[in-house]
Amino acid sequence: MRVAERTTHDGGTPPPVVAGTSVPTTTGSSGRQRRGVNREGLEAGRRSTRTLLWVLLAAAMVLYGFPFLYLLFTSFKTPIDTIAVPPTILPREWTLENYTNALGRSGVLASFINSIQTAIISTVLSLVLAVPAAYGITRYQTLSGRIFIMAALVTRMVPPVAIGIPLASMMAAVGLSDTPIALSIAHTTISLPLSIWLMSSFFEAVPKDLEEAATVDGCSRLGALWRVVIPVVSGGIAVTAIFAFLASWNEFLFALLMTAIRSQTTPVVIANFQTQFGLDWGSMTALAAVYSIPVILLTLLLQRKIVAGMTLGAVKG
Amino acid sequence: MSTRKTINRFATIGGICTAVALAAAGCGAGGPTNSGSAGTSTVNVLVEAGGHAELTGVAEQCKKDAGIDVNFVELPYDGMFNRLSSEFSSGNVSFDVAALDSVWLPSFKDAVQPIDEIFTDEAKKDIFPALVKEANVDGHFIGLPAWTNAEIILYRKDLFEDAKNKADFKAKYGYELAAPTTWKQYQDISEFFTRDGMYGTDVKGGVETEWLAHVLQAGSPMVLDENNKVVIDNAAHKEALDFYVSLTKSAPSGAAQVDWAAAQNLFNQGKTAMTRFWAHAYRQIPADSPVAGKVGAAPMIAGSAGIGGVPGPWYLSVPKATKNADAAKKFIKCAYDNNSMGIESSLGLASRISAFEKYQDKEGYESFGPLIETLNGKATATRPATEKWQQIVDTVLVPMLQKAVAGGDSATLLADAKKQIEDLLK
Repeated sequence: MRVAERTTHDGGTPPPVVAGTSVPTTTGSSGRQRRGVNREGLEAGRRSTRTLLWVLLAAAMVLYGFPFLYLLFTSFKTPIDTIAVPPTILPREWTLENYTNALGRSGVLASFINSIQTAIISTVLSLVLAVPAAYGITRYQTLSGRIFIMAALVTRMVPPVAIGIPLASMMAAVGLSDTPIALSIAHTTISLPLSIWLMSSFFEAVPKDLEEAATVDGCSRLGALWRVVIPVVSGGIAVTAIFAFLASWNEFLFALLMTAIRSQTTPVVIANFQTQFGLDWGSMTALAAVYSIPVILLTLLLQRKIVAGMTLGAVKG
Repeated sequence: MSTRKTINRFATIGGICTAVALAAAGCGAGGPTNSGSAGTSTVNVLVEAGGHAELTGVAEQCKKDAGIDVNFVELPYDGMFNRLSSEFSSGNVSFDVAALDSVWLPSFKDAVQPIDEIFTDEAKKDIFPALVKEANVDGHFIGLPAWTNAEIILYRKDLFEDAKNKADFKAKYGYELAAPTTWKQYQDISEFFTRDGMYGTDVKGGVETEWLAHVLQAGSPMVLDENNKVVIDNAAHKEALDFYVSLTKSAPSGAAQVDWAAAQNLFNQGKTAMTRFWAHAYRQIPADSPVAGKVGAAPMIAGSAGIGGVPGPWYLSVPKATKNADAAKKFIKCAYDNNSMGIESSLGLASRISAFEKYQDKEGYESFGPLIETLNGKATATRPATEKWQQIVDTVLVPMLQKAVAGGDSATLLADAKKQIEDLLK
């Protein structure tokens, strides 16, 4: 198949034209036809770019989503299917037995309630502390503020296991052993530093003029924060809340060290399916799948806010 | 202003949720506990998740017989040692009884109290000798074995009883095909069944216990002698290591990464004809496994010193820090009296000889006879009583085995291991 090539007035190369098809000329009404061809070319280019992006997106989704999908499929497999060598992706026979086993195990419902309590308290604690801290640091720009925010980051560099055992001893000493409050406080030590950093970046994106305008209209500094700044950064707060909630929801080590009968959270219960005498893949994946539902729902619920929060910094200035 | 309304709505919902969470957080959803309260009839028992079922029936019986209520704290094996270390070192424990893996006994011997009164002469006769010895630390019994285990031989009865296999095997090796009793037989049978996409056995490079059983069978104490002198470079260790590595040609590739779970999977999938495995696995073969109903059990193989296995018991101990020691000891006595109830659980183990004997002739418990024989084996012995044992396993023995099954020189590896262990024990 022969392909004709022409040069356009701006030196660019138009899309190739296949021999035997109608070739637009450069005279008379052909100008409009040529612009039409250029537009078609651009459209075709856009389409192929979009297709490429979709392919990349699909590949990324498969990459990130496959482990979860595999977990989900495994939760519907029979016991022998879960340990197949080589492993199979789809169950050969679908069963709900793993879900009945996992959810019927004693302590599972209590662990769910404990996880919810702990995550909510930890999230609220993180926000209550991080929002004013980040606001103060970004608006007042003091040396102590800068030192504080750096120090907050340093605490993230300490391995959790190094503080887990002392924290457990401290909680026991103050009579909070084996309570969701103790675990929430421990989880806040994980989420607070990054919450402060996240909120600082969101506050920085808010022009000071907005607050000044509010103060001119009679707002106090706190009033301006509550009535003007907080609504602007609400997307950022949603992102931070999600982050803090997830940090607590999925945390394992502190839960392992600090909880027993009263406040054991679900990650520990999930881990209990791996014992010294065997690994119950089916029940473990079933409970893990159920445990991921609230987080997925929360993310969907706050999806708009998250997207707004993520793009907040993009319009700075 | 919709944003304002949304924020107010979120703030209200968040506030209500927090208030509810805080109100409930004082005790948690698991219910209140009387841990550590002096004189109560409730005991908290810390147990590895897999062992929980073993004690459930006992707890119910204990409630009826002694009026003791039992709360179980289940933890995964990998985190339990850290949790115990943390609580014992703080002196503030959240449990009244702990089920301890035998390898942890030396590490926690100073944190638990003697329970000599439970070890009557009658009890000592009904517990395997190796366990009685292991439970006694510095002249006091500090833990009652709640259940025990040991590696035995699991083999494909259907393949071993196949007429063609029997004839072919006899023609090739000159003796009858039957469950192996010696190292040589194990090697021959493994080689024989390695064909047509199947393997004769597995080789576990990711765990050390099986190799240590072979060391015992070769006539040496494991790694340390009775004076805590490192003997890992002696002839018996080398002989055992060479035997262990020799089986790699009859085992699936990647032996360095094979651990208990992988080996169990391979056997249950019908990929291996034999496995040396913990006895409990006999009763845990999934009903839909291609090998279900086709598996036989035999005692662990013997070396020059006879049958030898490494027992895997769990001990019930009472922390010194508990304020509820009386009820805790009553529970342990209950556990001893009703030891056979564990056999009816999903794990299906016990620690008293009489309990195993009661069930060994029943259908479905064919592994108990071989287990009893292995636990009573001439060369059977428990692991060395050193606080550093877990460290020795993790940092020296397992890496050494992984190098050995990957083709490393056994003499050099054992010599290096000796030096590393001596450094650890300094």
